[in-house]
Amino acid sequence: MQKGYFCLVLHSHLPFVRHPEYEDFLEEDWLYEAITETYIPLIWVYEKLLEDKVDFRVTMSLSPTLISMLTDGLLQARYLKHLNKLIELAHKEVERTRWQPEFQSLAITYLNNFCRARETFERFKRNLTLAFKNIQDAGKLEIITCAATHGYFPLMEVCPESIRAQTKVAVNQYERVFGRKPQGIWLPECGYVPGSDEILKEVGLRYFFTDSHGVLHGTPRPKYGVFAPVYCKKTGIACFGRDLESSKQVWSSVEGYPGDHDYREFYRDIGFDLDYEYIKPYIHPDGVRINTGIKYYRITGSENKQPYNFEAAREKAASHAGNFMFNRERQIEYLFDFMKRKPIIVSPYDAELFGHWWYEGPMWLDFLFRKFAFDQNIIKMITPSEYLFENPRNQAITPSLSSWGWKGYSEIWLQGPNDWIYRHLHEASFKMTELAKSFPSADGLLRRALNQALRELLLAQSSDWAFILSTGTHTSYAIKRTKDHLLRFLRLYEDVKANSIDIQWLADVESKDNLFPDLDYRLHQ
Amino acid sequence: MLRKIRERLKSISQKDKNASLSDVNKKPVSKSITEKLFGRKTAKKETAKPKEEILGTQETIVRKTKFYTGQITKAVRMMPQELPIGYGVNRIIIQVRDPRWIHSYWEVTSDTWNRLRDELCDEFYKAKRVLRVYDVSYIVFDGSNANSFFDVEINDYSNNWYVDTQGPGKSWCVDLGLLLPGGRFITIVRSNTVTTPIEGPCWITDEEWMIPEEMFARLYGIGFGLGRSSPIGKAWQERIKRQLFSGALASPSSPMQKPKERKFWLVVNTELIVYGATEPDAAVFVQDKPIQLRPDGTFTLRFALPNGKQVIPVKAISADKEEERKITPIVNKETK
Repeated sequence: MQKGYFCLVLHSHLPFVRHPEYEDFLEEDWLYEAITETYIPLIWVYEKLLEDKVDFRVTMSLSPTLISMLTDGLLQARYLKHLNKLIELAHKEVERTRWQPEFQSLAITYLNNFCRARETFERFKRNLTLAFKNIQDAGKLEIITCAATHGYFPLMEVCPESIRAQTKVAVNQYERVFGRKPQGIWLPECGYVPGSDEILKEVGLRYFFTDSHGVLHGTPRPKYGVFAPVYCKKTGIACFGRDLESSKQVWSSVEGYPGDHDYREFYRDIGFDLDYEYIKPYIHPDGVRINTGIKYYRITGSENKQPYNFEAAREKAASHAGNFMFNRERQIEYLFDFMKRKPIIVSPYDAELFGHWWYEGPMWLDFLFRKFAFDQNIIKMITPSEYLFENPRNQAITPSLSSWGWKGYSEIWLQGPNDWIYRHLHEASFKMTELAKSFPSADGLLRRALNQALRELLLAQSSDWAFILSTGTHTSYAIKRTKDHLLRFLRLYEDVKANSIDIQWLADVESKDNLFPDLDYRLHQ
Repeated sequence: MLRKIRERLKSISQKDKNASLSDVNKKPVSKSITEKLFGRKTAKKETAKPKEEILGTQETIVRKTKFYTGQITKAVRMMPQELPIGYGVNRIIIQVRDPRWIHSYWEVTSDTWNRLRDELCDEFYKAKRVLRVYDVSYIVFDGSNANSFFDVEINDYSNNWYVDTQGPGKSWCVDLGLLLPGGRFITIVRSNTVTTPIEGPCWITDEEWMIPEEMFARLYGIGFGLGRSSPIGKAWQERIKRQLFSGALASPSSPMQKPKERKFWLVVNTELIVYGATEPDAAVFVQDKPIQLRPDGTFTLRFALPNGKQVIPVKAISADKEEERKITPIVNKETK
């Protein structure tokens, strides 16, 4: 007998990093690694499930910046170049490890996977959003949107116009790419501030997610805790709270599954391990060693790392999937008994956790989907839309300000190393609102300048920059991006006000920060 | 790393600039030398030239106009590298950091400071700069009806401040102002209003959605990962509990874990390079596997070399398959 629901949510996001002005740009690798290690392996999992006619459900956000990069011609070409280099290296590795069969079998697997990734990439004409669209159209995947550039809403409370622009730009892009309206949104960093749901309502979104305490600390007290969604008072937008127990099983780097000794060690990469002269063509052109993605060791549990074994890792992933499902079954049975209503367990994760950080993650997901479909009948996998259709009656409360960041609120994005950015970000927001008001219907060059001003503002608002600043390491790029976009914005503002737009400079900036081609500056109101 | 790249780029572009500058400098010098030496000859050539027009010059001039949109008279504007220090406004903004703390930042123009200095004369220098933090929960604040307020003294040079409100679940508004020796407070600028979230579950329950206290406590615990079905060990649960009761909800948004700082260490690996050459059109086999030759007939192979004996027969067969050569290096590796 079915006693409850399980809703798996994967949040995929990378900030917009695209530097046509450089031949090779280190931070662009964030995208390339995520494509090879997460997005393509996830597509493989979904496609195989479809092929095997396994009924599964997954909810996935694709952030608008990620969609912009996945559909960008330059980055697509660069990814292919990156992948070809990787394939070349894997060929060499197969040769080099000839006398070490335990490593050679790994090198061969990497080579095959990379070649298969290239085949997949080319099958979708380099545009991976099409792959996700297919799975959504097949009814198994619900793609949700995110804010345009992953701006963190609670720290935009003084400029709701920016929250509105972040949301509307995202929804417009979603409709263009997926040919339908998004039902839900992943609030960046799971950051919710009461009142922002009014903007979600304006654009026709029906639900979002918060961390556990967003619902648990809501007013009035939520009867079912996080095991039923709540509607926001006034707006009626549904809010699903995260279940921490299931989250920790995967998230925790100490007790969670990814730390298992049979799983692949993230920090032992041949980019660092092998002879410098040999590896040089495959690391950064500057000569700095970086990860290549070819890793031969398992976590092991001691300093003396043992060679990785695909078969052992696969078996462990299967058993962990079994364990995860078993625990959800017990959790659901327990909750159902005293809630007298079918509970829903919502488990959101960063998509990049699967594959990139936890190499076996996609495999684990594959086992999990299959086990849920065939090995039990207590829990139904569901998307939020389906849940709301089946269970339309829910309590109305006001969720609490919250995020899923360190300490649960805004501290990670508002502390010593990054608090200086807000006086500039807010000022730019105020100025953008002023521009949108002063030019209710601009044309031609003026319109281009105004649109670009909004693009620059949005790019400066990415929560990723504040996050990187808070970590205190490799901050120069985050500082540069924050400043560059704000300075470009300020110049556009001045040029527009002075009616002296420099067309060449504008064209140059447009060609660099080229996301959201159909953007309309009037969305910032 | 980026900085390195940038610095390198900068030094390169500077070199280029220097180079081109020196080119420019050189030219006139060399010209003057040539003029000195061959003055007459060059002069003759130059005067002779204009008479005959080089073929296509005129066409090129005309064609160029097709791509000419107007003279660029404006000097190229340099992009500033730093953000402005201020925007010429009087403003204070406050934001919620967590249930207890709010962050405030402000800007006051020098005009405003000067006006205050003029108006207050001596008192200005004796006044303290303070943030007056008003509790404005459940009211429409008009400047005088706050539930309560407290002052935070700030120094003259700061432009932002974290304030411990001690009060989760309340609404706050902050004035930046001067507290005069006589106790009079002068507001310079007033902030927006924010509301801090409550720190635990709300005490208000909904009649229609009532739940017994004890049951909610259980749901609350499970929601935070204290459920009895958790297989992930006591240690984690204890940690969550500690964090729960200390008010800190740790949920790492990045799973990155840095490798342990190692003490002194040493890693030694060995690789073997096998290289050679033959006729470019020959077929070469190493340990019976065909290998690719470079266009000049050379080849290089690189192997990770484990302990033990490696027998590496290298065989070359001529293109017409008439001839064959075989050389077999044998390598013994041991590690002590």
